[in-house]
Amino acid sequence: MRLPLYVLAVSGGALVQCTVVPVVGVGGIVPDVPVVLTVLLALRYGAEAGCLTGFALGLAQDAVAGGPLGLHALSKALLGFVAGDLPRWVLVTRPIVPVGLAVLATIVDGLARFALLQLFHYPAPLGEIFTRVIMPQAGYNGILAAAALAWPVGRLLSRG
Amino acid sequence: MLDLLVRYRKYSVLGLVVVAAVALLTAQQTRQGDGLWLAEGIATITAPVQGAFARVHRGAASLWAGYLDWKHLRTEVARLRAETVALRLRQLRQEALEAENQRLRTLATLRERLPERTLGAEVVARDWNGFTRGLTIDRGRADGAERLSAVIVTSGVVGRVAVLRRQSAIVQVLTDPASSIGGVVLRTHAQGLVEGVAGGRLRIKLAVSEEALQPGDLVVTSGIGELFPKGLPLGRVLRVYSATGLFRTAELEPAVDLTSIEEVLVLPRGTSGDLAPAFPES
Repeated sequence: MRLPLYVLAVSGGALVQCTVVPVVGVGGIVPDVPVVLTVLLALRYGAEAGCLTGFALGLAQDAVAGGPLGLHALSKALLGFVAGDLPRWVLVTRPIVPVGLAVLATIVDGLARFALLQLFHYPAPLGEIFTRVIMPQAGYNGILAAAALAWPVGRLLSRG
Repeated sequence: MLDLLVRYRKYSVLGLVVVAAVALLTAQQTRQGDGLWLAEGIATITAPVQGAFARVHRGAASLWAGYLDWKHLRTEVARLRAETVALRLRQLRQEALEAENQRLRTLATLRERLPERTLGAEVVARDWNGFTRGLTIDRGRADGAERLSAVIVTSGVVGRVAVLRRQSAIVQVLTDPASSIGGVVLRTHAQGLVEGVAGGRLRIKLAVSEEALQPGDLVVTSGIGELFPKGLPLGRVLRVYSATGLFRTAELEPAVDLTSIEEVLVLPRGTSGDLAPAFPES
Protein backbone atom coordinates (compact mmCIF):
# COMPACT_ATOMS: atom_id res chain seq x y z
CA MET A 1 0.00 0.00 0.00
CA ARG A 2 1.12 3.52 -0.74
CA LEU A 3 1.73 5.31 2.55
CA PRO A 4 0.79 8.83 1.36
CA LEU A 5 -2.57 7.56 0.14
CA TYR A 6 -3.08 5.76 3.46
CA VAL A 7 -2.25 8.91 5.48
CA LEU A 8 -4.42 11.04 3.21
CA ALA A 9 -7.36 8.65 3.51
CA VAL A 10 -7.13 8.47 7.29
CA SER A 11 -6.60 12.18 7.97
CA GLY A 12 -9.05 13.26 5.28
CA GLY A 13 -11.69 10.79 6.42
CA ALA A 14 -11.36 11.92 10.03
CA LEU A 15 -11.57 15.57 9.09
CA VAL A 16 -14.54 15.05 6.83
CA GLN A 17 -16.33 13.08 9.52
CA CYS A 18 -15.87 15.77 12.14
CA THR A 19 -16.43 18.81 9.93
CA VAL A 20 -18.54 18.24 6.83
CA VAL A 21 -20.64 15.25 7.88
CA PRO A 22 -22.47 16.92 10.77
CA VAL A 23 -23.69 19.51 8.28
CA VAL A 24 -25.10 17.03 5.77
CA GLY A 25 -27.25 15.12 8.26
CA VAL A 26 -30.77 14.17 7.22
CA GLY A 27 -33.32 13.98 10.01
CA GLY A 28 -30.56 13.91 12.60
CA ILE A 29 -28.84 10.95 10.96
CA VAL A 30 -25.31 11.42 9.63
CA PRO A 31 -23.26 8.99 7.54
CA ASP A 32 -20.26 7.23 9.09
CA VAL A 33 -17.53 8.07 6.58
CA PRO A 34 -14.76 6.14 8.45
CA VAL A 35 -16.79 2.92 8.08
CA VAL A 36 -17.05 3.38 4.31
CA LEU A 37 -13.38 4.30 4.02
CA THR A 38 -12.29 1.39 6.17
CA VAL A 39 -14.33 -1.08 4.13
CA LEU A 40 -13.12 0.25 0.77
CA LEU A 41 -9.48 0.33 1.85
CA ALA A 42 -9.69 -3.05 3.52
CA LEU A 43 -11.20 -4.68 0.44
CA ARG A 44 -8.40 -3.27 -1.71
CA TYR A 45 -5.38 -3.53 0.59
CA GLY A 46 -6.20 -6.41 2.85
CA ALA A 47 -6.89 -7.17 6.49
CA GLU A 48 -3.76 -5.61 7.94
CA ALA A 49 -4.28 -2.23 6.22
CA GLY A 50 -7.99 -2.37 6.95
CA CYS A 51 -7.34 -3.04 10.62
CA LEU A 52 -4.86 -0.16 10.98
CA THR A 53 -7.02 2.22 8.96
CA GLY A 54 -10.08 1.39 11.03
CA PHE A 55 -8.13 1.84 14.25
CA ALA A 56 -6.68 5.21 13.20
CA LEU A 57 -9.97 6.56 11.86
CA GLY A 58 -11.89 5.26 14.90
CA LEU A 59 -9.41 6.82 17.29
CA ALA A 60 -9.77 10.19 15.56
CA GLN A 61 -13.55 9.83 15.75
CA ASP A 62 -13.36 9.02 19.44
CA ALA A 63 -11.18 12.04 20.08
CA VAL A 64 -13.48 14.38 18.25
CA ALA A 65 -16.74 12.88 19.48
CA GLY A 66 -15.66 13.11 23.12
CA GLY A 67 -16.88 9.61 23.96
CA PRO A 68 -14.85 6.76 25.42
CA LEU A 69 -11.47 6.78 23.66
CA GLY A 70 -10.97 3.42 21.89
CA LEU A 71 -14.64 2.66 21.28
CA HIS A 72 -14.74 3.48 17.57
CA ALA A 73 -11.11 2.47 17.29
CA LEU A 74 -11.82 -1.09 18.44
CA SER A 75 -15.01 -1.64 16.46
CA LYS A 76 -13.56 -0.22 13.24
CA ALA A 77 -10.28 -2.08 13.65
CA LEU A 78 -12.20 -5.36 13.85
CA LEU A 79 -14.36 -4.28 10.93
CA GLY A 80 -11.35 -3.43 8.79
CA PHE A 81 -9.73 -6.75 9.59
CA VAL A 82 -12.82 -8.80 8.66
CA ALA A 83 -13.50 -6.76 5.52
CA GLY A 84 -9.88 -7.09 4.46
CA ASP A 85 -10.00 -10.86 4.84
CA LEU A 86 -13.20 -11.24 2.79
CA PRO A 87 -11.65 -11.30 -0.70
CA ARG A 88 -10.25 -14.72 0.18
CA TRP A 89 -13.80 -16.10 0.21
CA VAL A 90 -15.98 -13.62 -1.72
CA LEU A 91 -15.66 -12.14 -5.20
CA VAL A 92 -15.47 -8.44 -4.43
CA THR A 93 -14.97 -7.04 -7.93
CA ARG A 94 -18.71 -6.49 -8.47
CA PRO A 95 -19.73 -2.99 -7.26
CA ILE A 96 -22.67 -4.35 -5.30
CA VAL A 97 -20.30 -6.14 -2.90
CA PRO A 98 -18.54 -3.03 -1.46
CA VAL A 99 -21.86 -1.20 -1.26
CA GLY A 100 -23.60 -4.10 0.48
CA LEU A 101 -20.60 -4.56 2.70
CA ALA A 102 -20.65 -0.89 3.71
CA VAL A 103 -24.28 -1.34 4.80
CA LEU A 104 -23.53 -4.57 6.67
CA ALA A 105 -20.38 -3.11 8.20
CA THR A 106 -22.30 -0.13 9.55
CA ILE A 107 -24.79 -2.46 11.22
CA VAL A 108 -22.02 -4.62 12.71
CA ASP A 109 -20.04 -1.55 13.80
CA GLY A 110 -23.13 -0.08 15.45
CA LEU A 111 -23.94 -3.31 17.28
CA ALA A 112 -20.30 -3.73 18.37
CA ARG A 113 -20.18 -0.21 19.73
CA PHE A 114 -23.46 -0.72 21.54
CA ALA A 115 -22.07 -3.88 23.12
CA LEU A 116 -18.88 -2.09 24.17
CA LEU A 117 -20.85 0.85 25.54
CA GLN A 118 -22.56 -1.49 27.97
CA LEU A 119 -19.27 -1.36 29.88
CA PHE A 120 -20.01 2.30 30.42
CA HIS A 121 -23.63 1.70 31.41
CA TYR A 122 -25.03 3.18 28.22
CA PRO A 123 -28.72 3.86 28.97
CA ALA A 124 -30.55 3.74 25.59
CA PRO A 125 -32.30 0.46 24.62
CA LEU A 126 -30.93 -1.54 21.67
CA GLY A 127 -34.22 -1.53 19.73
CA GLU A 128 -34.37 2.24 19.70
CA ILE A 129 -30.72 2.62 18.73
CA PHE A 130 -31.04 -0.04 16.02
CA THR A 131 -34.12 1.40 14.32
CA ARG A 132 -33.44 5.09 14.76
CA VAL A 133 -29.65 5.25 14.37
CA ILE A 134 -27.97 2.14 13.06
CA MET A 135 -30.35 1.23 10.23
CA PRO A 136 -30.77 4.76 8.80
CA GLN A 137 -27.02 5.25 9.06
CA ALA A 138 -26.46 1.94 7.25
CA GLY A 139 -28.69 3.13 4.39
CA TYR A 140 -26.91 6.47 4.27
CA ASN A 141 -23.53 4.72 4.18
CA GLY A 142 -24.68 2.43 1.36
CA ILE A 143 -25.54 5.51 -0.73
CA LEU A 144 -22.23 7.10 0.24
CA ALA A 145 -20.27 3.98 -0.76
CA ALA A 146 -22.04 3.81 -4.12
CA ALA A 147 -21.29 7.50 -4.70
CA ALA A 148 -17.66 7.05 -3.66
CA LEU A 149 -17.23 4.14 -6.07
CA ALA A 150 -18.74 6.20 -8.88
CA TRP A 151 -16.38 9.07 -8.22
CA PRO A 152 -12.67 9.20 -9.07
CA VAL A 153 -11.72 9.09 -5.36
CA GLY A 154 -13.53 5.81 -4.91
CA ARG A 155 -11.98 4.35 -8.02
CA LEU A 156 -8.55 5.49 -6.82
CA LEU A 157 -9.10 3.86 -3.44
CA SER A 158 -10.29 0.60 -4.93
CA ARG A 159 -7.52 0.55 -7.53
CA GLY A 160 -4.68 1.72 -5.25
CA MET B 1 8.89 -14.86 19.18
CA LEU B 2 9.62 -12.05 16.70
CA ASP B 3 9.62 -14.59 13.88
CA LEU B 4 6.23 -15.75 15.03
CA LEU B 5 4.91 -12.17 15.04
CA VAL B 6 6.26 -11.52 11.54
CA ARG B 7 4.91 -14.83 10.27
CA TYR B 8 1.43 -14.05 11.54
CA ARG B 9 1.75 -10.30 10.95
CA LYS B 10 -1.88 -9.84 10.11
CA TYR B 11 -3.05 -11.38 13.36
CA SER B 12 -0.29 -9.63 15.28
CA VAL B 13 -1.50 -6.23 14.02
CA LEU B 14 -5.05 -7.13 14.93
CA GLY B 15 -3.97 -8.24 18.36
CA LEU B 16 -1.96 -5.08 19.00
CA VAL B 17 -4.75 -2.85 17.88
CA VAL B 18 -7.35 -4.69 19.94
CA VAL B 19 -5.10 -4.63 23.01
CA ALA B 20 -4.44 -0.90 22.56
CA ALA B 21 -8.13 -0.11 22.18
CA VAL B 22 -9.17 -2.29 25.11
CA ALA B 23 -6.39 -0.80 27.22
CA LEU B 24 -7.66 2.70 26.45
CA LEU B 25 -11.21 1.72 27.25
CA THR B 26 -10.24 -0.08 30.44
CA ALA B 27 -8.10 2.84 31.58
CA GLN B 28 -11.01 5.21 31.16
CA GLN B 29 -13.35 2.79 32.84
CA THR B 30 -11.18 2.38 35.91
CA ARG B 31 -9.48 5.80 36.21
CA GLN B 32 -11.47 8.76 34.95
CA GLY B 33 -9.37 11.20 32.87
CA ASP B 34 -6.68 8.77 31.67
CA GLY B 35 -6.14 8.74 27.94
CA LEU B 36 -7.61 12.20 27.48
CA TRP B 37 -4.22 13.67 26.50
CA LEU B 38 -4.45 11.75 23.22
CA ALA B 39 -7.94 12.99 22.55
CA GLU B 40 -6.83 16.52 23.31
CA GLY B 41 -3.91 16.19 20.90
CA ILE B 42 -6.16 15.13 18.05
CA ALA B 43 -8.77 17.73 18.93
CA THR B 44 -6.09 20.46 18.83
CA ILE B 45 -5.64 19.71 15.14
CA THR B 46 -9.26 19.24 14.24
CA ALA B 47 -10.84 22.01 16.33
CA PRO B 48 -9.73 24.98 14.16
CA VAL B 49 -10.88 23.19 11.01
CA GLN B 50 -14.16 22.35 12.67
CA GLY B 51 -14.55 26.00 13.66
CA ALA B 52 -13.89 27.17 10.12
CA PHE B 53 -16.43 24.73 8.71
CA ALA B 54 -18.94 25.72 11.35
CA ARG B 55 -18.50 29.40 10.41
CA VAL B 56 -18.93 28.60 6.72
CA HIS B 57 -21.99 26.52 7.57
CA ARG B 58 -23.46 29.27 9.71
CA GLY B 59 -22.83 31.79 6.94
CA ALA B 60 -24.43 29.56 4.34
CA ALA B 61 -27.37 28.83 6.64
CA SER B 62 -27.83 32.52 7.35
CA LEU B 63 -27.67 33.32 3.64
CA TRP B 64 -30.23 30.61 2.91
CA ALA B 65 -32.49 31.82 5.71
CA GLY B 66 -32.21 35.36 4.33
CA TYR B 67 -33.09 34.14 0.86
CA LEU B 68 -36.08 32.21 2.22
CA ASP B 69 -37.22 35.29 4.17
CA TRP B 70 -36.91 37.44 1.06
CA LYS B 71 -38.80 34.87 -1.02
CA HIS B 72 -41.48 34.59 1.67
CA LEU B 73 -41.70 38.38 1.84
CA ARG B 74 -42.14 38.65 -1.93
CA THR B 75 -44.89 36.04 -1.87
CA GLU B 76 -46.51 37.83 1.06
CA VAL B 77 -46.33 41.21 -0.72
CA ALA B 78 -47.86 39.69 -3.89
CA ARG B 79 -50.61 38.05 -1.82
CA LEU B 80 -51.37 41.29 0.04
CA ARG B 81 -51.45 43.24 -3.24
CA ALA B 82 -53.89 40.76 -4.74
CA GLU B 83 -55.97 40.94 -1.57
CA THR B 84 -55.97 44.76 -1.68
CA VAL B 85 -57.11 44.72 -5.31
CA ALA B 86 -59.84 42.18 -4.49
CA LEU B 87 -60.99 44.26 -1.52
CA ARG B 88 -60.97 47.45 -3.60
CA LEU B 89 -63.04 45.73 -6.28
CA ARG B 90 -65.46 44.47 -3.66
CA GLN B 91 -65.69 47.96 -2.19
CA LEU B 92 -66.35 49.46 -5.64
CA ARG B 93 -69.04 46.86 -6.30
CA GLN B 94 -70.55 47.63 -2.92
CA GLU B 95 -70.52 51.36 -3.62
CA ALA B 96 -72.08 50.81 -7.05
CA LEU B 97 -74.78 48.65 -5.49
CA GLU B 98 -75.46 51.24 -2.82
CA ALA B 99 -75.70 54.00 -5.45
CA GLU B 100 -78.03 51.85 -7.55
CA ASN B 101 -80.12 51.10 -4.51
CA GLN B 102 -80.35 54.79 -3.70
CA ARG B 103 -81.35 55.66 -7.28
CA LEU B 104 -83.96 52.95 -7.42
CA ARG B 105 -85.36 53.99 -4.07
CA THR B 106 -85.78 57.62 -5.15
CA LEU B 107 -87.25 56.45 -8.47
CA ALA B 108 -89.69 54.24 -6.59
CA THR B 109 -90.67 57.21 -4.42
CA LEU B 110 -91.34 59.27 -7.54
CA ARG B 111 -93.32 56.42 -9.03
CA GLU B 112 -95.56 56.36 -5.97
CA ARG B 113 -96.14 60.08 -6.23
CA LEU B 114 -97.19 59.95 -9.88
CA PRO B 115 -100.89 59.46 -10.63
CA GLU B 116 -100.34 57.20 -13.66
CA ARG B 117 -98.76 53.76 -13.83
CA THR B 118 -95.20 54.24 -15.09
CA LEU B 119 -92.77 51.84 -16.68
CA GLY B 120 -89.33 51.50 -15.09
CA ALA B 121 -86.45 51.06 -17.51
CA GLU B 122 -82.71 50.77 -17.42
CA VAL B 123 -80.38 52.79 -19.63
CA VAL B 124 -78.35 50.27 -21.62
CA ALA B 125 -76.57 52.53 -24.11
CA ARG B 126 -75.85 56.18 -24.89
CA ASP B 127 -75.48 57.88 -28.23
CA TRP B 128 -73.54 61.01 -27.39
CA ASN B 129 -72.02 61.95 -30.77
CA GLY B 130 -72.92 65.65 -30.73
CA PHE B 131 -75.23 65.62 -33.73
CA THR B 132 -77.81 63.55 -31.96
CA ARG B 133 -78.17 62.74 -28.32
CA GLY B 134 -80.06 59.66 -27.31
CA LEU B 135 -80.31 56.93 -24.76
CA THR B 136 -81.26 53.32 -25.34
CA ILE B 137 -83.51 51.82 -22.67
CA ASP B 138 -84.28 48.15 -22.11
CA ARG B 139 -88.05 48.50 -22.47
CA GLY B 140 -89.90 48.39 -25.76
CA ARG B 141 -93.16 47.68 -27.45
CA ALA B 142 -93.45 44.30 -25.74
CA ASP B 143 -93.27 45.98 -22.33
CA GLY B 144 -96.00 48.47 -23.12
CA ALA B 145 -93.84 51.45 -23.99
CA GLU B 146 -95.23 53.85 -26.57
CA ARG B 147 -93.62 56.15 -29.09
CA LEU B 148 -93.33 59.80 -27.96
CA SER B 149 -93.90 58.84 -24.33
CA ALA B 150 -92.23 61.16 -21.82
CA VAL B 151 -89.18 59.76 -20.05
CA ILE B 152 -88.39 61.19 -16.63
CA VAL B 153 -86.29 60.69 -13.53
CA THR B 154 -86.69 62.07 -10.01
CA SER B 155 -85.14 65.41 -10.92
CA GLY B 156 -87.07 66.05 -14.12
CA VAL B 157 -87.46 65.35 -17.82
CA VAL B 158 -84.97 63.19 -19.68
CA GLY B 159 -86.63 63.25 -23.09
CA ARG B 160 -89.13 61.30 -25.12
CA VAL B 161 -89.26 57.90 -26.78
CA ALA B 162 -88.22 58.57 -30.37
CA VAL B 163 -87.73 55.07 -31.73
CA LEU B 164 -89.70 52.13 -30.43
CA ARG B 165 -88.53 48.56 -30.89
CA ARG B 166 -89.85 45.29 -29.59
CA GLN B 167 -87.64 45.04 -26.53
CA SER B 168 -85.91 48.40 -26.42
CA ALA B 169 -86.44 52.03 -27.21
CA ILE B 170 -84.32 55.04 -28.10
CA VAL B 171 -85.00 58.15 -26.08
CA GLN B 172 -84.32 61.52 -27.63
CA VAL B 173 -82.92 63.54 -24.75
CA LEU B 174 -83.72 67.18 -24.03
CA THR B 175 -80.35 68.42 -25.20
CA ASP B 176 -80.62 66.80 -28.64
CA PRO B 177 -80.48 69.64 -31.21
CA ALA B 178 -83.71 68.33 -32.77
CA SER B 179 -85.60 68.35 -29.46
CA SER B 180 -88.08 71.07 -28.60
CA ILE B 181 -90.58 71.05 -25.72
CA GLY B 182 -93.05 73.60 -24.58
CA GLY B 183 -91.89 75.11 -21.28
CA VAL B 184 -93.05 77.61 -18.74
CA VAL B 185 -91.11 79.74 -16.27
CA LEU B 186 -92.55 78.67 -12.96
CA ARG B 187 -92.06 82.06 -11.25
CA THR B 188 -93.70 84.23 -13.97
CA HIS B 189 -95.71 81.66 -15.93
CA ALA B 190 -94.12 83.00 -19.12
CA GLN B 191 -94.28 80.38 -21.82
CA GLY B 192 -91.60 79.51 -24.35
CA LEU B 193 -89.93 76.78 -26.31
CA VAL B 194 -87.14 74.73 -24.75
CA GLU B 195 -84.68 73.48 -27.37
CA GLY B 196 -81.56 71.37 -27.39
CA VAL B 197 -78.39 73.03 -28.59
CA ALA B 198 -75.46 71.31 -30.30
CA GLY B 199 -72.81 70.60 -27.68
CA GLY B 200 -75.23 69.29 -25.07
CA ARG B 201 -76.69 72.53 -23.87
CA LEU B 202 -80.33 73.70 -23.49
CA ARG B 203 -82.02 77.02 -24.19
CA ILE B 204 -85.43 78.61 -23.91
CA LYS B 205 -86.86 81.04 -26.42
CA LEU B 206 -89.74 83.18 -25.40
CA ALA B 207 -91.40 86.43 -26.28
CA VAL B 208 -91.36 88.22 -22.94
CA SER B 209 -89.81 91.23 -21.21
CA GLU B 210 -86.48 91.03 -19.39
CA GLU B 211 -88.13 90.93 -15.96
CA ALA B 212 -89.99 87.77 -16.84
CA LEU B 213 -86.77 85.76 -17.03
CA GLN B 214 -83.95 85.75 -14.44
CA PRO B 215 -81.07 83.46 -13.71
CA GLY B 216 -82.15 80.73 -11.31
CA ASP B 217 -85.70 80.56 -12.56
CA LEU B 218 -87.08 77.07 -12.86
CA VAL B 219 -88.56 76.09 -16.21
CA VAL B 220 -91.07 73.24 -16.29
CA THR B 221 -93.11 71.62 -19.02
CA SER B 222 -96.14 73.66 -20.05
CA GLY B 223 -98.39 70.69 -20.88
CA ILE B 224 -99.24 72.17 -24.26
CA GLY B 225 -99.14 69.65 -27.08
CA GLU B 226 -100.06 66.68 -24.89
CA LEU B 227 -96.70 64.97 -25.30
CA PHE B 228 -95.47 66.01 -21.86
CA PRO B 229 -97.76 66.51 -18.89
CA LYS B 230 -97.58 69.82 -17.10
CA GLY B 231 -95.12 70.59 -14.30
CA LEU B 232 -92.14 68.37 -15.13
CA PRO B 233 -88.85 70.18 -14.37
CA LEU B 234 -86.79 70.98 -17.49
CA GLY B 235 -84.00 73.18 -16.17
CA ARG B 236 -82.92 76.37 -14.49
CA VAL B 237 -82.00 79.62 -16.18
CA LEU B 238 -78.22 80.11 -16.23
CA ARG B 239 -77.95 83.36 -18.17
CA VAL B 240 -80.35 85.54 -20.12
CA TYR B 241 -79.26 86.86 -23.52
CA SER B 242 -80.22 90.23 -25.03
CA ALA B 243 -83.47 90.28 -26.92
CA THR B 244 -83.25 89.81 -30.68
CA GLY B 245 -86.41 91.05 -32.31
CA LEU B 246 -89.44 89.76 -30.48
CA PHE B 247 -87.72 86.89 -28.80
CA ARG B 248 -85.57 86.63 -25.72
CA THR B 249 -83.28 83.68 -25.28
CA ALA B 250 -81.81 82.16 -22.12
CA GLU B 251 -79.42 79.31 -21.51
CA LEU B 252 -80.73 76.61 -19.21
CA GLU B 253 -78.97 74.10 -17.04
CA PRO B 254 -80.87 70.82 -17.53
CA ALA B 255 -82.68 69.68 -14.41
CA VAL B 256 -81.35 66.16 -15.05
CA ASP B 257 -77.69 65.23 -15.25
CA LEU B 258 -78.11 63.36 -18.51
CA THR B 259 -74.58 61.92 -18.48
CA SER B 260 -75.07 59.83 -15.37
CA ILE B 261 -78.61 58.51 -15.37
CA GLU B 262 -78.96 54.74 -15.11
CA GLU B 263 -82.67 54.16 -14.58
CA VAL B 264 -85.65 56.07 -15.91
CA LEU B 265 -89.43 56.02 -15.77
CA VAL B 266 -91.50 56.00 -18.94
CA LEU B 267 -94.84 57.81 -18.59
CA PRO B 268 -97.79 56.46 -20.55
CA ARG B 269 -98.96 58.52 -23.50
CA GLY B 270 -101.74 60.89 -22.66
CA THR B 271 -100.73 61.47 -19.03
CA SER B 272 -102.33 64.72 -18.07
CA GLY B 273 -102.65 66.98 -15.09
CA ASP B 274 -100.07 69.01 -13.19
CA LEU B 275 -97.24 66.78 -12.01
CA ALA B 276 -95.29 69.52 -10.25
CA PRO B 277 -96.24 68.20 -6.75
CA ALA B 278 -94.43 64.96 -7.60
CA PHE B 279 -91.14 66.95 -7.76
CA PRO B 280 -91.02 68.72 -4.40
CA GLU B 281 -87.18 69.06 -4.51
CA SER B 282 -87.41 71.23 -7.62
